[in-house]
Amino acid sequence: MKTEGNRSLAEVLRDEMVMKDRIVGLLREEPKTIPELAEALGYPSHEVVLWVMALWRYGTVAEMKQGRNEEYFKYTLSASH
Amino acid sequence: MLLKTADFMNYDHLIVGGGIAGMESALTLGDMGYKVLLIEKEASIGGKMVLLSKVFPTLDCSSCISTPKMAATSHHPNVTIATNSEVEEIGRNGDGTFRVRYRRNCTFVDNAACTGCGECEIACTVSIPDEFNFDLVARRAAHIPFPQAVPKKAKIDLRGASPCSAACPAGVKAHGFVSLVRSGKYEEAFHLHMEDAPLPGSLARACYAPCEDACTRGDLEGTVSIRHIKRFMTDRYYGAHPEPEYGPPEERLDKKVAVVGSGPAGLTAAYHLARKGYPVTIFEAAPEAGGMLRYAIPPFRLPKDVVDRDIKNVTALGVEIRANARVESVQSLKEAGFDSVFLAVGSGEAWTMGFEGEDLEGIVDCMGFLRRAYSGRIGDLSGKTVVVVGGGNSAIDPARVSLRLGAAKVVIMYRRSRSEMPAHDWEVQAALEEGVHLQILQNPKRFLGKNGRLTQLEYLSMKLGEPDASGRRRPVPVEGSEALMDADLVVLATGLRPATFPFAGAIEIRRDETVNADAETLQTSIPSVFAGGDAVSGPSSIVEAIGQGKRAAFYIDRYLRGEPLDGTTFDERLPVMNKEAVIGRGPVSKREPIRVKEIAAGDRVKSFAEVEGCLSENDARASANRCLDCAGCSECHQCIRACPANAIHFDMRSEERTAEVKSVILSTGFRLFDPHEKPQYGYGRYPNVINAMQMDRLLSPTRPFNHTLRPSDGKQPNNIAYVLCTGSRDCSAGNPLCSRVCCMYSIKQAQLIMGALPLADVTIYYIDIRAFGKGYDEFYEQARGMGVAFVKGKVARIEEADNNDLKLFYEDIEGGGGTQEVEHDLVVLSVGLMPNKDVLKLFDNGDLAADPYAWVKEMDENLYPALTSIDGVFVAGTSSAARDIPDSILHAGAAAAQAAAHVERRRA
Repeated sequence: MKTEGNRSLAEVLRDEMVMKDRIVGLLREEPKTIPELAEALGYPSHEVVLWVMALWRYGTVAEMKQGRNEEYFKYTLSASH
Repeated sequence: MLLKTADFMNYDHLIVGGGIAGMESALTLGDMGYKVLLIEKEASIGGKMVLLSKVFPTLDCSSCISTPKMAATSHHPNVTIATNSEVEEIGRNGDGTFRVRYRRNCTFVDNAACTGCGECEIACTVSIPDEFNFDLVARRAAHIPFPQAVPKKAKIDLRGASPCSAACPAGVKAHGFVSLVRSGKYEEAFHLHMEDAPLPGSLARACYAPCEDACTRGDLEGTVSIRHIKRFMTDRYYGAHPEPEYGPPEERLDKKVAVVGSGPAGLTAAYHLARKGYPVTIFEAAPEAGGMLRYAIPPFRLPKDVVDRDIKNVTALGVEIRANARVESVQSLKEAGFDSVFLAVGSGEAWTMGFEGEDLEGIVDCMGFLRRAYSGRIGDLSGKTVVVVGGGNSAIDPARVSLRLGAAKVVIMYRRSRSEMPAHDWEVQAALEEGVHLQILQNPKRFLGKNGRLTQLEYLSMKLGEPDASGRRRPVPVEGSEALMDADLVVLATGLRPATFPFAGAIEIRRDETVNADAETLQTSIPSVFAGGDAVSGPSSIVEAIGQGKRAAFYIDRYLRGEPLDGTTFDERLPVMNKEAVIGRGPVSKREPIRVKEIAAGDRVKSFAEVEGCLSENDARASANRCLDCAGCSECHQCIRACPANAIHFDMRSEERTAEVKSVILSTGFRLFDPHEKPQYGYGRYPNVINAMQMDRLLSPTRPFNHTLRPSDGKQPNNIAYVLCTGSRDCSAGNPLCSRVCCMYSIKQAQLIMGALPLADVTIYYIDIRAFGKGYDEFYEQARGMGVAFVKGKVARIEEADNNDLKLFYEDIEGGGGTQEVEHDLVVLSVGLMPNKDVLKLFDNGDLAADPYAWVKEMDENLYPALTSIDGVFVAGTSSAARDIPDSILHAGAAAAQAAAHVERRRA
């Protein structure tokens, strides 16, 4: 699957290794949703999804319990991080 | 059981493909007592079924059904599994049996040792689209395919040698340290470099960087700045660690090694030998160690405190350096108790050119000039004219040094044209920027002097003739072109030779005064004496000398251990990745190289201060992030360090295997229709248009996201559309056939969505619903009862709204016709099943027949299911047609029965 514009999926994923420290820094301040992270980083939210989900997969971030009417999960640093 | 190296090579049955059908056939035949070889190209058996969320119409957990079968197949005593393996060719023998040639692709992991703990994944620094999650999320180059994989073993996705790493004569893993810097692992990057070469500070400044010449990004907007990245990581490390963090190894061996020469080759050999535990002594004729690093490369390119710090990397291991210690003979070292000698004397001696007046005072060779300049013995050149003769790098440095010593005019005189200059262009350019005059196509004829001191040189104009042995056009003097030039100092930079003369007679020396050593082992005519670097190759480069030092240490170690020097391979490298193929993987955004700051040309000639600056941390990471990860895995070796089982070995290689079998079952499965072929649906352009396999992953317990979320922004979707018949029953997509499963898997997913997302609406756009199997129609009605909306209408196109929602335009068939427009926040394309045409290429005689739609042809489905056009070859599951899971299993049973009958008939 390619992402929007000219950025290939592979290129977006390569950026994860640089973006992860910025995402960790932002989540250290307070838990955030994907759109909130995207705004803070200045990157499209569909790219931020890929980075956050990779960090979730490998245990750096965890989702917080979601409220009944909340459409978005908030993410925080996992306990081990 | 998993295939081992020494396994049995003759089997009753070969099964190609380890999906549900292949496993079923294998288990059936294994239970009958037949020996089965199951070849699977992926890292795990299980096929696509194990990746599904649930199966229809029972909504049983797909993994729960698949994994016991996978385990049973894996543990069956009569079934041998070769994962990561690809059949290359199947040929028919004269007796009706088959000869199979297949390739076991290397995973760089010892399966016997790997426990599947996943520590390598966490440590890995390369992020790659995860094919087992259909590109929804990243995996690592070091990865376990999926949680239920059988075998559950790690695999390193190393597809070849990255061009940068492959280009390094010293074997430095450029891709590896670039990847580590990109990840912010700066000290790890330094340590990786130290695995191969102990002089990173010097290389970061003075290496000619063949890695950058090879970089794939260089074919785009500019090479990755690998040398500058190395400079950043080394300066940062040296800043934090003025002294090495290690000392001599605990284990000390009793064999002693002498190294003659403390240049890059000698230091590197000493470093690697000392790390193995050998006591090493370096003998250096000059007052200080470093060879060319200290005495040739000027401090404005390579500060001497950096050389000192690099050398500490060697001496910290207990290596003794004896300065002012010229070695006069090999015999003297032997008598001093050394068991082996490495001659790395460099090429610091100048050839005499035979010009008239060459012995005048004021004429020096380049090395003599530089040595004296650095020790303050040249003095002030203010107002003087300096002429440097030559066109190589050894001409550029004296010219630039002369400017810094105050020379009024510095000329480089070269007998060919600028394009033929051996010096690197960037070095020539730097010299010109600083004010050096370049006089090309000119050559001295003689030197003139007064009272024994140089005053003028007479020179000739040259023209280029025919190419000489070097391939460059030979310079020919232009008759009558003599001219005079005033000069106070002439530096002859016209060639260097190795100082091997003390060893002539003891070992073989060539006519050009280099040592005659074996090209592979570097062993000389005396078995205990090895030679390398410029002493063997003639003038080369730092990184080539380091490569030779590393090679020498490898073979000296073998020699001292009494092991044969032949029959082994030093630094065996994988085939280099094809750069065009790397660029062809997908669009690459333009990212211009980040330049380092340099002192302005006008200022830098005022001192010997280092000209080139260092990247900032942000710039270093951004530069590293221009890397395209050509080979996948970067060889950063973090997985090796993380692995508690010591299971990862980068020296493993793929193997070609053969086997003899009596029958073949083809169960290579299907491929999904690629929805990129229906551009009107926006797949690949709109993040919230996904295919049904991706949706199955999102609904699976081992999902790639923390919940069923849409890819554009992580929102839980609440209005989901399914577009049936995407790529099936569609002549415009080249597939007129119904794929038989799309209706039902879409209904299955709709029901699962209602469980996972209770507030979500699901609409299925269909042409007609095909619910033909046992319980299928009830399953459909159940979905309707749950509130799934079914709209009879063909979707014409999809457009994206501002908020990443999607507008569907469809023909409303039941609602009176006409085009309707409706919005959804996620669209799932129910893609069809397509034939896997690769299977048709497996047989050397091309006799495997396909049906008109390119599925493997069953010769008589009604009377003899599973029989193909080749006697003894059978087909199982979705290799011959689109089938659901129960039908695939049934068909696989039929194939097994036919295969068993074939073998028994032949036996009778």
